[in-house]
Amino acid sequence: MAIRIQRVPSESLAGGVAARLVAIVLALVVAAIVFAFTGADLGKLGSHVLKSTFGSRFGLMDLGLIMTPLTLTGLAVMIALKVGAWNIGAEGQFCAGAFAATAVALFVPGPNVVVLPLMFVAGALGGMIWILIPTLARAYADVSELITTLLLNFVGVLLIYYVATGPWLDPSGVSFASTARLPHDVPSFWGDVHWGLPLAILLTIAVAAVLNFTRWGYEVRIAGSNPNAARYAAIPFRRHLIVVMLMSGAIAGLAGMLEAAGTAHRLQGGISNNFGYIGIMVAVLARGSAIGVIAGAALMAIILKSGISLQTQGVNISTVLAITGLILFFTALADELSHYRIVRTKEA
Amino acid sequence: MTMNMMLNAGEAVASETKVQPIVRLKGIAKYFPGVVANQDVDFDLLPGEIHALLGENGAGKSTLMNMLTGIYRPDMGEIVIDGSAVSFASPVEAIAAGIGMVHQHFKLVKAFTVAENIHLGWKETPRRIARDLLEARTAELAASLNLAVAPGARVSDLSTGEQQRVEILRVLSRKARVLILDEPTAVLTPAEAAELFKALRQFAARGNAVIFISHKLDEVLEISDRVTVLRGGRKVTTMPTGECDKRMLARLMVGQEVVLSNMRERRPDAKPVSPQPVLSLRDASARDDLGNMALKRVSLELRAGEILGIAGVAGNGQKELSQVLTGIRALASGQVEICGKDLSRAGAEEFAAFGVGHIPEDRLQSGLAPALSVTDNVVIREYGKAPLSKGWVYRPSAATSLARSIAEAASVRVPDFGMPVRNLSGGNQQRLVARREMRIAANVLVAAYPCRGLDVGAINAMMRYFIELRDAGVGVLFVSEELEELLKLSDRIAVMFHGEVMGVVNTSEVDIETIGLMMGGQRRGPAGATAEN
Repeated sequence: MAIRIQRVPSESLAGGVAARLVAIVLALVVAAIVFAFTGADLGKLGSHVLKSTFGSRFGLMDLGLIMTPLTLTGLAVMIALKVGAWNIGAEGQFCAGAFAATAVALFVPGPNVVVLPLMFVAGALGGMIWILIPTLARAYADVSELITTLLLNFVGVLLIYYVATGPWLDPSGVSFASTARLPHDVPSFWGDVHWGLPLAILLTIAVAAVLNFTRWGYEVRIAGSNPNAARYAAIPFRRHLIVVMLMSGAIAGLAGMLEAAGTAHRLQGGISNNFGYIGIMVAVLARGSAIGVIAGAALMAIILKSGISLQTQGVNISTVLAITGLILFFTALADELSHYRIVRTKEA
Repeated sequence: MTMNMMLNAGEAVASETKVQPIVRLKGIAKYFPGVVANQDVDFDLLPGEIHALLGENGAGKSTLMNMLTGIYRPDMGEIVIDGSAVSFASPVEAIAAGIGMVHQHFKLVKAFTVAENIHLGWKETPRRIARDLLEARTAELAASLNLAVAPGARVSDLSTGEQQRVEILRVLSRKARVLILDEPTAVLTPAEAAELFKALRQFAARGNAVIFISHKLDEVLEISDRVTVLRGGRKVTTMPTGECDKRMLARLMVGQEVVLSNMRERRPDAKPVSPQPVLSLRDASARDDLGNMALKRVSLELRAGEILGIAGVAGNGQKELSQVLTGIRALASGQVEICGKDLSRAGAEEFAAFGVGHIPEDRLQSGLAPALSVTDNVVIREYGKAPLSKGWVYRPSAATSLARSIAEAASVRVPDFGMPVRNLSGGNQQRLVARREMRIAANVLVAAYPCRGLDVGAINAMMRYFIELRDAGVGVLFVSEELEELLKLSDRIAVMFHGEVMGVVNTSEVDIETIGLMMGGQRRGPAGATAEN
């Protein structure tokens, strides 16, 4: 008898879910071991995290506020993956969306009912413009969108810092790196939690419906899965690539708009807060499913919120980021390992 | 019982030869699910010889060599090197034993220089070395082995012939005594091939040996000292090349007992062959992906209710031909008509709309989206039509029920229509693709190598499908490199060579040798007056 490791062509759904749960638990265990070495009181830290995240109204509100941008950036990355593109640039598109929406809020006079919709449009357009060049470069010159979207993130983040500390700096002098409070807000429905959250969830469900229940969605899935098969079946791969990548940028831009106008109420340096990058993790966790995006965003929100609680207990932000990194690492590992099974064979 | 017979066969070979062979294979067998890749293969390789391994695609040449180079392990039999039995766990061990292989698709790092490629993954490469020294070492190696390469050149800038020399140099630099070449001339110009042959003769003259895999008869006769013919995974014979001629080798390769079974006979109620062609191609030329003219002024006519076979060694323009006839590849010049309608400028959509079905030669590359579900894949031709789509709405439930009926027609049992199509076996994938295309093939079906890599059951299914279409009055263009299949099925056969049609012959009036000669580039006048205008 010998034990061999055999690759199986595809994993089962239950196996995939189980592998991911194990991955998250393992990441937390590794994190706990590290904490134990630093001499922290694990029990105390744990109960504090649970209480401040789930045990209070403010904790739950925070979860909702964090989940909103993550759902959208996760959706943005996921939809680009559907057409076979890696949008690593949700961070930059988020910034562009926040920037464009803020510009409208600050410089377009008018009542809420007029300006707020304009801000939505501006946010989406901002994100779309930010991904336009990478999209065209990929579609017409086969330039990897991985690089181009990533590099534009730095431009986007720095653009925000520039306007928030320079031309658009709050004249009242309250802050050194933010604009004045925006005159228009996304309305709230529960404490601080604004309508951006239900909107993000509805949008995710709508995207899933479009992908599954329209001809266009079918064509996008084929084109993203195998461009050669698309060519064979006369499905216009390039057109779908461009449209979907622009949609991806628009969704990430919308996340930025909601963050500026719903959560922060101003444009401030660092507003993107790695939401774009964490969106990649959300999409990876979601494995191409829209419901998965919502669940992944909720999970990441819990991790981030727990991280904030940990910070109040003297754990620094790098450690928190390390834990999120561990979870992604273990998930990627689980994704690969769930394609293998161990078999016992008789030696030939 | 069989084991004994195999051992006896091995001894018989041993007693014939005086010199100790470098490599001896005894009773080798290898099975894949549903396929016997090799069975009872005995083979020996003497020092100083160039030994050709001849056989059709799927005859088991590559599998046999993959066992010799440690990629696969034989399920039965023994590999003996220099008189002692070995068992290679990996290609690394085979290389250490002096067995190196140059694959059809080169395994070079294109962004690296020649010197870097030669030294990559070689334990004799010094840990730290300057670029000049590395290149000097390479030049020295190349000179000692008499292979001209430019050590400082980037591999991506080299011609295919030069890249192949780098591959050979890399294998030989590892002190290989046995060099296996898998269809080495397929990618070479005649001048490059002549140069390769010279280098191989020099290598063999130093007491080494070469195994030369090919299905080109001319080459085998030109380069080899002995030739071993494989068919259907078994060895047919090993003979000195001097005692062979082309006709004989063709016959051995394809099989003596080519059954011209009555597949060409029609059912009494079958629709007759139409007087007018459903598909006609006039002076059509097209370029391949690299921009070379791959199809040169080809004219063909296909009538409703007939099967036109396209014979030829793969890579002689068949792929481009099938793409031109389905709107996937643009014509450089010439004309293509379906049912009298000029579609020379049309795309894949129009061809499909005019009732042209297409089984592409690489189903996983272009016929299917392997990661998507069985349903998604099976409905790719009809997703936009009712009842699957109504306006812009797509109905997955209607798609699944269509997929169900296609799978039923193909007699493929699908446990879960939502699972990725790559989980199905190659034969089942192909049955589904074929059935899917038959639904839209109202006038023409273009089938490119539909039986490639399939087991016997699936091959029979394909053939039955094509007969069904033919008798229903559809024109079938059947591209294959298996002469046996072509002779069984086609009414007429067009032979392609270097992008041109060497001639169209009536299957009933032709023998294998003639087609074999045409595949090697000999022209033939048009077939009987009934077949041509």
